Formats: sequence, structure tokens, C-alpha cells
Amino acid sequence: MELTINGQRVSAEANETVLKCALRHDIHIPHLCTHPSLPPFGACRMCMVEIEGMRGYPTACTTPAAEGMVVRTETEALRELRRNILGLMMLEHPSACLLCDRREQCEEFRPSSEKVGRTTGCHTCNNKEVCDVRKLSEDLGFCQLPVPPLYHFRPLERSDPFIDRDLNLCILCGRCVRVCKHQHDTSIIDFVGRSSISRIGEAFGRTLLEADCRFCGSCVDVCPTGSLADRYAKWFGKPDSWAETTCMFCEEGCALHVGLEDGKAVAVRAVDEDKPLCVLGRFATAPFMNGTERLRAPQIRVGDVLREVSWEEALTRASEKLSACKGGAFAVVCDTSLTLEDRYVLKKFTTDVMASPNFIISVPDGNGRAKASLPDGVTAVLTTGDFLTETQRDALDVLVVQDCYPSAILEKADIVFPAALFTETEGTVLDCRNTARPLHRLTTPPGQARTDGEIITALAAALNTSGFPGNDRATLAEAAGIPEATLYSKRESVPAAASNPAKRSAWFRGHNLALLVGGLKSLPADGEPVAAEEEASLPTFVPTDKRIPFQVLSKQEISPNNHEIIFYAPAVAKKAKAGQFVIIMADATSERVPYTLCDWDANEGTITLIVQEKGQSSRKLALMRTGDTAAHIVGPLGTPLEIDNYGTVVLLGGCYGIGAHIANAKALKAAGNHVILIVEARSHYLHYYQEELASVADEFIASTIDGSNGVKGHSIDVLLRRLKTGAKVDRVIAVGCPFMMKTVAAETAEMNMPVLAALNPIMLDGTGMCGACRVTIDGKTKFACVDGPFFDAHLIDWEELKDRRNAYSEAEIGSLLRTEPVEHAHHAHGHGCGCGKS
Amino acid sequence: MAIVKSDVSFIENVVAKYPTTKGGIVAILQEIQEREGYLSPDALDETARLTGISVNEIYGVATFYSFYKFNPPGRHVIQVCLGTACHVRGGSKILKELERLLKIKVGEVTPDGKFELNRIACLGCCALEPVVAIDGKFYPRVTARKLPAILAEYQD
Ligand code: SF4
Ligand code: SF4
Ligand code: FES
Ligand code: FES
Repeated sequence: MELTINGQRVSAEANETVLKCALRHDIHIPHLCTHPSLPPFGACRMCMVEIEGMRGYPTACTTPAAEGMVVRTETEALRELRRNILGLMMLEHPSACLLCDRREQCEEFRPSSEKVGRTTGCHTCNNKEVCDVRKLSEDLGFCQLPVPPLYHFRPLERSDPFIDRDLNLCILCGRCVRVCKHQHDTSIIDFVGRSSISRIGEAFGRTLLEADCRFCGSCVDVCPTGSLADRYAKWFGKPDSWAETTCMFCEEGCALHVGLEDGKAVAVRAVDEDKPLCVLGRFATAPFMNGTERLRAPQIRVGDVLREVSWEEALTRASEKLSACKGGAFAVVCDTSLTLEDRYVLKKFTTDVMASPNFIISVPDGNGRAKASLPDGVTAVLTTGDFLTETQRDALDVLVVQDCYPSAILEKADIVFPAALFTETEGTVLDCRNTARPLHRLTTPPGQARTDGEIITALAAALNTSGFPGNDRATLAEAAGIPEATLYSKRESVPAAASNPAKRSAWFRGHNLALLVGGLKSLPADGEPVAAEEEASLPTFVPTDKRIPFQVLSKQEISPNNHEIIFYAPAVAKKAKAGQFVIIMADATSERVPYTLCDWDANEGTITLIVQEKGQSSRKLALMRTGDTAAHIVGPLGTPLEIDNYGTVVLLGGCYGIGAHIANAKALKAAGNHVILIVEARSHYLHYYQEELASVADEFIASTIDGSNGVKGHSIDVLLRRLKTGAKVDRVIAVGCPFMMKTVAAETAEMNMPVLAALNPIMLDGTGMCGACRVTIDGKTKFACVDGPFFDAHLIDWEELKDRRNAYSEAEIGSLLRTEPVEHAHHAHGHGCGCGKS
Repeated sequence: MAIVKSDVSFIENVVAKYPTTKGGIVAILQEIQEREGYLSPDALDETARLTGISVNEIYGVATFYSFYKFNPPGRHVIQVCLGTACHVRGGSKILKELERLLKIKVGEVTPDGKFELNRIACLGCCALEPVVAIDGKFYPRVTARKLPAILAEYQD
């Protein structure tokens, strides 16, 4: 069958749609709701084309290709139509970043997205690096919304294991609903409600867990937006590369597509798009491999404790101990989660080096946990995991452990070798159908960990054994008769555990996986006692007259992701001056983070702060509830804003800086200045405090990037327009994100006008001692905590500031790496969260 | 108010009457609601079990129609008319005021189960605008100030 697309003659296969046919011939037609692994749906209308002889604009994804068809995919009319459709779709999506004139500079200044709670634009979106919507918007030259957008303020859904949902980003393409139905033949999620309140979700506002979700992650994988996300992987962005290997968690032998970054596994997907993985393969692999508890260094027992030593020392100690107990007194205990090669080496070691018949493969007991039975007379054991009971352990004279995570068995171990595994090893495994599957070394083992085979070979050498097989895989494979392995990339059926998480294996090398990967705690598994779900009982706050210092008196999310918190901090309130800040520790172990004082009341002893959820520490604050108490608040810190009668002062504010200007405006106005306050936000729903601001300034102007409130553009654009008309401005003070302040500095560089910017880099003590807050001003080092926060914006070394801010970005992602539900995430129950619970 | 524990045999009979298609589901749900007054989680879970269709899908179908209710109805049903005539005479203000007085949103039931607040497109007595009906009793020419007294008529 032949047809013409954009003048090009192409051949179509039987039952092919116009879209499929075009894509196969590298002719791009924009599409959103279509996904290669799903049947066509026709919801987004993005793939509309012109077909001669057909009325209107049929959707290419649902129209079957037919002989002689003449199709046009790229006419100006179509582009216009698609732009309009995207415009409508973006009305209920945080779309301002798509419309922003400065998005390229922004991208350059902060390439990775910020780790917010609620995403209010691309630069804070976990999907940014792989976003279909963004790409489409660029291709179409999308630059305007037809009417102001709507933000539904849907609650963040973070109370399920592994999956975060922010349905404020959902474009209702239905990919997730369809993939769930398609792969599991049932619907855990579906469209709920109709028209503008339509959303995806479970019956009666149940959580995924309550709705019997399988946690296969397919919905997350197909979602074109940042709406559905893998809580662990989300802030890593797009992996540098992808590679394939076999899953080792059970004997299904599923093929894994592993996303890699800096030698680490950061994301996992099924190789066979049609057959989802179970929760272990999909969600547990990366956190398990990257666990901070992993054994990293060899250790030997010194008295009661294990001490980290070099490999050499550990191997020497092991060989000394083991050479004394060759023969029947020695046993090797392992389980089937080793590669065939490693098992062969271990067996060889048992028989040839240790001259013992006791090569024991432990077998799962009724609970699925592998246990070994030791023959009489065994007094020395080398084990690859926690397979021995306490009694068995106590009866031993020598215990050598090579393992990946600490366990009870280490209490008795004489020598511990850190083992590399799974994505860190090369080799072959046998699946439950007795087919050989390949393992590939894709990631770097933690610390000094080595593979089981490498450890045993080194140990054999330390025992002066000659002729022991080396670690060459090919030679080993031949000696051990290991068959050629093939990846299970086209599965015959969905693995049982992918349809029922309770069927997953609960143990790995004798470790209870639920204790190592937090998210698994809430999921039942065969034979594993379900951890009694601690009902997060939230005590209700009863206001009393007695206030405790650092107590939260009120807390509300005044605009998406911006939380206004009023603390009781009388000592701070008494001394506070405009422009100063405090350093807060949310709890005893959290970071110390500076926050600008927006307002305070010396009589009441209260201070008001605007906290944006942007990482681990601010999340702790954002999740505080009225009545909670912060561990500590120090302040007021920093040099207050210099107040004088300058004439006309323009205050530019963005993000948290909007709130911060309340105090500045009040003080400047009181000193006789004409205060013009210009605040910017991406969209109208992100503005807050408008009435208060209008009342403290002589002139108040709001601007939005998408033009949905006040003037379109950034606050600096408003100022520049004013200056063009000849207005006289004596001083400018910018408070906002570094990108906003840097832009202000750049745009006013040539003007002879004092411009101040408030810097708040990473701080520790806040008293000028640690140097963490160093900034370079006019080539000289200053400490933002005591010399600042206000500096001459034109003299600030912005590039250095940017690097300093990004210095910890990886550690910050690390501290957010969790798979279990975010505590209190759903605390809004019964207060309009709409989930139906109380 | 006690939640009606769904009558399983009743649901079995209803499910048996209709095909397990989307259309069939609509009819099944309608019968359940007629009998129980609303669609409870129990009733939908049971329907899901019997039809083999996921409860999430059934809920999705049900929420598509504004006709279905998911909370036990209030003892007294308030209907605020927002037809054209009532609307121009301040029907929506009346609705807002009722929301404020009862501390619930339109479509909801007060926590004590006493009142249910609904809007309706036209009650058919436009001359009496703005109209509010409670349990079928019509209150003509309602003003915000009259509302507390009207509500006070319902004591149980
Ligand atoms: S999903 Fe995220 S990256 Fe994509 S357009 Fe929306 S906000 Fe931007
Ligand atoms: S959550 Fe994602 S996949 Fe699902 S409908 Fe929304 S945008 Fe589409
Ligand atoms: S891709 Fe065809 S309608 Fe969405
Ligand atoms: S925060 Fe330590 S010197 Fe400024």
C-alpha cells in the first residue's frame, strides 16, 4: 500500500495508522497521547493532519493509512491549530516557563531543576530534561496563552511508596490509565469526574496502595509530564546512558533497562515495554544498589568491634584463620543469588583449597528466607550472606562473611569482605526456567567492594594455592560448563510479582529487603510479617495561652509551594530590623538554613517567614503544622537594610522576596521615600500578599511571566519601561532568586543608579566564623551573613555565587533519596484535599 | 448517621439483570442509588467484585455523571435555584450565604448529616425568584437575612 506524505511517496503496512507510517519513515508528526506501546486514543488532537478528500483535520494516530492517500502534516494552518490546542492544554498546566523570554539564560544559570514540593514551572520540574510538552512547545513556537491559566491546587500525593504524584501537571492524555489497563487488565487508576474537575485517580480518593496498585511503575514511565514521578529517581534528571542486564532479586530473570549516571544506577525500566517489572526490579534496584549502608571496606574483628582495614590485611587474617581449619571442619554457605561463575569459584575453593566436601547452598524456608543446615563438626564458615541462626553462629570458631549490607551475622564475624553484586558484576545466572541469563557490570561498586569471585580468588592466592582458576569469565564458563546466556528481552508473560506485589521475593542474601528499601515496608510480601502500619497520628493543636519559643503559630501555603510560617520567637521579634534574617533548624538533625524576616510583631513576639519547599530542610519546615516547634531559631542576623531618605526607591521582588519586601517597604516609606514596589511571579496564582504590599508602598505593580496578572514580563522589565519614559529612580533593591537578581544587575549595569541585591548563599553559623557564606564583591571576599545580605548588585561575582550554590546539589539530591512515603504529606485531609478521607 | 451496610444479595440481583458493559454499569449504579440513597465504597467494591470490572473504573464512570452521590444524603435537602430568573435576582448570593452558614460547599452534607446543599437549574416557579426549596417546600423571595430563620425551622 502506498501513500503520499508531504509530497514523499511512502509505503504503509497493513493496519498501520497514518501516524505510525509517517514516524516509520522519519516524518515527524507531533503527538502527545500516543505512546508506542499503547493502542491509539485520539485525545490530545496534536497529531491532526490534512488528508485530501477528507473533511476537517483527522487525527493521524487514529486514521488508518490507505492506498493513494495524500497527507500533509506541516501546513501553517496545522501549526496554528496545534499551537491553539497546546494553548488550551497549557491553561491547566504550570506553563509560564514555556512562555518566558529569558528561558535560555535561566537554563544556563540553573541547568538542573530545583527540588520543589509543587512544581510551578519547567525550571522546578522533575521532567524537564525529557519533557514531550516542552519539546512540542518549542517546535510549535508556542508563546501565548489564550486566557489566564488555572491552578487547581490539587494536593501533592506523596503518601504512597515509591510514587509521587502532582496532578496539577496532568494534561489528561490518559497514557497512565491506558497502560495500567493494557498491562494488568484492570484499572487501578482511571479518569475521575468530568470536564474541568476531571483528573486521574482511584475510587473514593484511595491511595495507590489502598487501590491494590502493583507498583510496576509503568504509569510513571509513560507519563509525558512531571505529573507522575519515581520518588527516588526524580531529581537525577535524564540518565547519561542506558544499558541492559538481568535482575537478580528473584529467579524470573527479567531483563532490566538501567539508567546510569556517574557509575550509578539511577533508574530502571523493563526492557520489554509490554511486560512490566515487579516492584523490586522497577523501584528497588537503584535504592538497593546505592544504599548508604552498603559495606564498603574490609573489616577484621579486634576484640568486640570490627575495624576497617586494607584488603591485604583482611585477606592475610582470613588466610591465617582458615589455613588452620581445612577439611571437614570448614564449610562455604551461599545461596542462589550468586552468578554461576562465582558459585563455581566458591565450590572450587571449598573442594580444592579447603579440601572440604561442605559446599552448602542454603534453601528458602517456609518464609522465603534462605537458611543453611550445617553438617556436624563444622567449626569454620565462609558465608555470602545472613544464612545462619544465632545458635549456628555461636557454635563456630571462625566466621568469614562476604556480603553487601550489614546484618546480625556481623556480630560474630571475624572477617568481613564487602561484596559487589548485581549491576556491579559480570556473569551468568540461571532463571527458574533453567535458561542462562547474562549479568553485566554497569555500575561501580561502593568503596572497595569486590565481586564474590574476585574475593575468593584473592583469598585462594593468600592461602598460597596454585592452579586456582582466575577470574576470566570465558575460561570459567568453559571450565564450569556454563551455557551461553541470552537476555530475557521478550517475556512470554508478566512475572507473577508484577501482578501481585505480595508474590515478590522478600529476601536477598539473607537480608529482609523491606529493611533496606524503605518503600517496601508498606507492601505485603509472601511470608513476611507485615510491619504493623503505624498510623501517623497527628495530634491536633489546641491553642493555649502558653506559647513555647520557636513554636509554629500558623502555617499556610499562601501560593503553590510558598509557605507562610509565623513562629513565636520573642527575642528575635524584639530586635528585628528590615532586611535581616534568621537561621532555622527544623529539627535537631536538620541543616541550618537562612530565611529573611518578612514581618514581625515585637509585642506579640512573632516573626513571619516565607519558606519555599526546595529540598530536604525546607521540606521539613514546609511540612510543619501549627503547634509544632522548630529545634532552633537564631537571629536577627545580618546587617539591616540601610534606611535613609533617598528619594524614589524601587523594590523588585520575586519568589520569597515578595514577602521579604513588606518590611523593607515599611521602613523606607517611614523614612520619607517614595516607594515603588514591583513584584514578579510566573503566573497570577503565584502572587501572594498583594493587598498588604499595596498598602505599604506608594505604588504597587505586579508582573507575571505569562501576562495573567498585571504587566507581562519580569519586574525588571517594568522598571526598564519606566526608566525609558524618563522617570527618576534613586535606588533599586532586588530580593528574589539569584537568577532574578543577576538579571536585574545585568540589565542596569550601564546605568548610573545604585542597585542592591540580597544574597543568601549556603550558611552555617551565620556569625562570620565558618566561611560557608563567602561571596566575592568587587574582587574582595565578604561574608554574606555579617557583611550582607545587601550588596552592590553590580559588583557581585554572580558566576561564583552560582557555582557555590550548585556545589552541594548532588548531596542535596542524596538527602532527598527516599522511597517511602513523605511524612505528613497528606495532612490536608478533610481540609479541601479532596481525597474523600477525614 | 450510620452508613448503610450494602445489602449484598440486593446488589447480586441487580448485577445479574444487566450486561457488564459501561451502559450496564450505569443502570446497576442507578438501582443501587435508588435503594441506598448514594453509592458507598462498600456497594461499589461489591459491584466490582461481581462484575469483574475494577472499582476504580466503576467510580470513574459514576463520577462522570453528576447524578450519582457518594455521601449519605442529608436529612434535609436544600435546593437553591440558579435558573436564569433566580440567578439575576441573586440566587448565587443565596447559595454563597448558605455555604457560609452551613460551613459546607455546594454538593456537600453538613457533618451532622442534617442538611445537604444542592444547586438546581430551575424549579419551575420563576415568578417567585429567588427560590430555595427544602425537602420540596418552596421559600419564595429569599434574602440572605431570611436564611437563618428558614434553617431554624428544621430542628431534627
Ligand atoms: S511537565 Fe514540567 S517540564 Fe514539561 S512543560 Fe510541564 S512544567 Fe515544563
Ligand atoms: S498523569 Fe501523566 S500520563 Fe496520566 S493522564 Fe496525566 S499527563 Fe497523562
Ligand atoms: S496523538 Fe493523536 S490525538 Fe493524541
Ligand atoms: S554563615 Fe558561617 S561565616 Fe557566614
